[in-house]
Amino acid sequence: MSSEGAPGDHPGGAGRRVDRAGLVIAAALAALAAVLVWDANKLPATSMYGMGPEAMPVVIAVGLVLLAIGNLIDALRGNLPPRESMDPKPVWLIIVGLALLIGIIGFGGGFILATSALFVTTSAAFGRRAVVADSVIALVLTTLIYLAFDKLLTLSLPAGPLERLL
Amino acid sequence: MIDTFAALAHGMAVALQPMNLLYALIGVFLGTAVGVLPGIGPALTVALLLPVTYKLDPGGSLIMFAGIYYGGMYGGSTTAILINTPGESASMATALEGNKMAKAGRGGPALATSAIGSFVAGTIATIGLAFLAPWLVDFAVRFGPEDYFALMCVAFVTVSATFGDSPVRGLTSLFIGLTLGLIGIDKLTGQARLAFGIPELLDGVEVTTLAVGLFAVGEALYVASRRHHAEEKLEPVRGSLWMTREDWKRSWKPWLRGTLFGFPIGALPAGGAEIPTFLSYSTERRLTKHPEEFGKGAIEGVAGPEAANNASAAGTLVPLLTLGLPTSATAAMMLAGFQQYGLNPGPLLFAERPDLVWGLIASLFIANGMLLVLNLPLVGLWVRLLAIPQPWLYAGILVFATMGTIAAKPSVVELSMLAGFGIMGFLMRRFDFPIAPVVIGLILGPIAESQLRRALAISLGDPMVLLQSPMSATLLGIALIALVAPFVLKELRRFKANED
Amino acid sequence: MISSHMRLFGAVVALLLGASGPAPAQQLELKIMAPAAPGGGWDQTARAMQQALVAAGVARSVQVTNVAGAGGSVGIAQFVNGAKGDGNQMMVNGFVMVGALAMNKSPVTLEQVTPIARLTEEIQVIVVPANSPLKTAQDLAAALKADIAKVTFAGGSAGGVDHVMAALFAGTVGADAKKINYIPFSGGGESLAAILGGKVTAGISGLSEYEGQIKAGKLRALGVTSEKRLPGSDIPTFKEQGIDLVLANWRSVVAPPGITPEQRKTLSDAVEKMAKSDAWKEILKQKGWDDAYLSGDAFSDFLKKEIVRVTDVLKSVGLVKS
Repeated sequence: MSSEGAPGDHPGGAGRRVDRAGLVIAAALAALAAVLVWDANKLPATSMYGMGPEAMPVVIAVGLVLLAIGNLIDALRGNLPPRESMDPKPVWLIIVGLALLIGIIGFGGGFILATSALFVTTSAAFGRRAVVADSVIALVLTTLIYLAFDKLLTLSLPAGPLERLL
Repeated sequence: MIDTFAALAHGMAVALQPMNLLYALIGVFLGTAVGVLPGIGPALTVALLLPVTYKLDPGGSLIMFAGIYYGGMYGGSTTAILINTPGESASMATALEGNKMAKAGRGGPALATSAIGSFVAGTIATIGLAFLAPWLVDFAVRFGPEDYFALMCVAFVTVSATFGDSPVRGLTSLFIGLTLGLIGIDKLTGQARLAFGIPELLDGVEVTTLAVGLFAVGEALYVASRRHHAEEKLEPVRGSLWMTREDWKRSWKPWLRGTLFGFPIGALPAGGAEIPTFLSYSTERRLTKHPEEFGKGAIEGVAGPEAANNASAAGTLVPLLTLGLPTSATAAMMLAGFQQYGLNPGPLLFAERPDLVWGLIASLFIANGMLLVLNLPLVGLWVRLLAIPQPWLYAGILVFATMGTIAAKPSVVELSMLAGFGIMGFLMRRFDFPIAPVVIGLILGPIAESQLRRALAISLGDPMVLLQSPMSATLLGIALIALVAPFVLKELRRFKANED
Repeated sequence: MISSHMRLFGAVVALLLGASGPAPAQQLELKIMAPAAPGGGWDQTARAMQQALVAAGVARSVQVTNVAGAGGSVGIAQFVNGAKGDGNQMMVNGFVMVGALAMNKSPVTLEQVTPIARLTEEIQVIVVPANSPLKTAQDLAAALKADIAKVTFAGGSAGGVDHVMAALFAGTVGADAKKINYIPFSGGGESLAAILGGKVTAGISGLSEYEGQIKAGKLRALGVTSEKRLPGSDIPTFKEQGIDLVLANWRSVVAPPGITPEQRKTLSDAVEKMAKSDAWKEILKQKGWDDAYLSGDAFSDFLKKEIVRVTDVLKSVGLVKS
């Protein structure tokens, strides 16, 4: 997630730099192909008529290798579209929010707390600073959602301490 | 033929009673209201609201049900257009151009063309259902595994329409989707592929989880990362809220073409709604007089796929009513609805319970009309959703998007996948890889693979089976032409240009 | 209609009681896990039990939870590890889970749970398209013996009841079960199209799924897997035709490992009372399920035998490594 990379301010110019992100992408595709072949090799031979389960992964792996080469060429030529600079902070805030959501659900904290945490972090990522006010809004909103779906429509959402009070 | 008219007229008479009209209205309203929540597609909408209909008599409940069904579909396209979060794969094609239109302040016409297109397609397809069902079903059961495989080949070729400007990056996206499609138990031999011993992966990647992760979560992350650039002020309405004369002129043909794709393919037992929507999208892209607008919000790209989507929904009713085959998640929910009344759809249903079948078909007409009546005035309101302050809008989107997954599978693994796909969606946007091919790869890959392997198993490994079936040979021919034609045309044009 | 009111009523009762003080001792508060997504057979069974247990006054409240994944492998793992020793929990399971656990190399097996009772079963059928030259099960047997690869079977998922049945049929008539050409389709729908379209030789499924097509004359039933001819049916059994193939797609309910004999008795009694109740019989009739109630040691023995039989078949067709 580098924010440097190729600024791409020389469209069509010959003096383009090698795009490092492009190299990473090409390497990732090649690695993915390797995983596919490794996994397909572990499949036991079966008595299926026609084509076995290992054929398609190999075909896709070949495709991925070709695409890795294609991406590599693009990266070496600096042939990637220009990227604007990005601000990593809000991205990390939302990712923290998603991690909180998963953690709270995983440890039985329930739907309301989990989604409220996501709401507050996302809202903060988009520049809101009123964390207390947003927390209240989030709790009210998610409680209403919980009531509407769990009680009226009998959709079972994960229950935690707060849901048991309702 | 005459019988069909009489039966339909009788069904209409039932459906048009004031009380039943009210049920239809309530159904459409509820369906739209729940369907409009991001990440909640029509199947989940119908599943959630099905119990509401139990409290009515069979007639009223079927009518409300039809309303919920169409309402849910329309609600799904609304979120796809306005906030780029299709609740199901069938409205993905709608999101491609629709969201670009919404961002340009043309959300009103996009919603209107999708509502009217849905109405037109739904009406034509329902007429098709009423008159062609027995004939179509005969055709549909002749479709063997090799024919499905050939149809998938056609679909794969048309996917290139969603690739954007770089074939390498488009194909990369597609192959990532194909790889994701391998995960899980192999349908034909029961062997686990790429599951790494995680039991939750054995069932494969859920299309909804992937679509919601890539689109909704990815979009939120991407917009957040660019917030420091100019405060991107979304203008809900720029220009007319309604469709202009020009919009109408550009919409009506795509509506009809979309219907032609959607209904027959939807009627195939393994046809689905994704293929016709993408066929329609790529066709409109090829035929348009405004190619420069594609990728920036072309109204044809909304009108066609939306019509195809709705027509295929009516198409799914063909195998459901005549064979008892639910061929989509939503159709499976409808089957559950029928069974509440001890009805078993199948070859005898038309003969045994004509009143209910024709009642349902008539209610589909009514619900379709009701949808237009309710939703055209609401277009203005929906568009104003974009006026919600950005922090709350995106926070709300993420809450609803994760709720869909939490409701379906509240496991840490599934939610982690959602978050992972979100981050992937963000990176793909950042490095300019198209999103839609990933989802298409996940949907089409496994179908193509299992149908090919079924065909080869039946023929004991003889690949000639693909050419021996006339249907499959024709479809493969179409795929080949569609693949080669653009290059040939390009060469021809260059040749001509050189001559001039 | 009735069912929805009952469910609503049950929910209301559960809500009201949940808020009040401790309950009388004999009133159970049960949790039933359906190791599948909402809507499928196991889920419907769990919800039917919920309805009948409350309606018959056996339990004060019953909560159904869904843990979907891999033919029940995800659900049973959570059940065995998470509910150990809990006398208020049960899990629905069935024939398909036996094969799924073996194929997915599940670390948790059905030998670990405490069997309670078998509840329902469905008879299986083999069909051919109406214009097929095969008229009887013996014709099919002859075709299998002539060239087994050319006889294609369409049915449900690999290793499921349909697949097991195809292998058993081939083995019983003296063909090499290892070589059957079984083509799994997702769900009864797609396989039905393949059979009607004449793409495969024969189709295998639960009887109810093809009943409409058989009655409409589009499919011909070659035989059913019941012990005796089904009442009011003109489809012959395989046994009548000299092929010893008896099999049913059963569903049962089990308790967690490590519960006390008293806890087991309480649960068994509750399920027995439910299975004998009018509410349960009404549900069976409505859903078209066959009553196959079997409890105690008889059920434990049955379960053990089915595990051995299914695992052997799956080994013979190469789906499970021996």
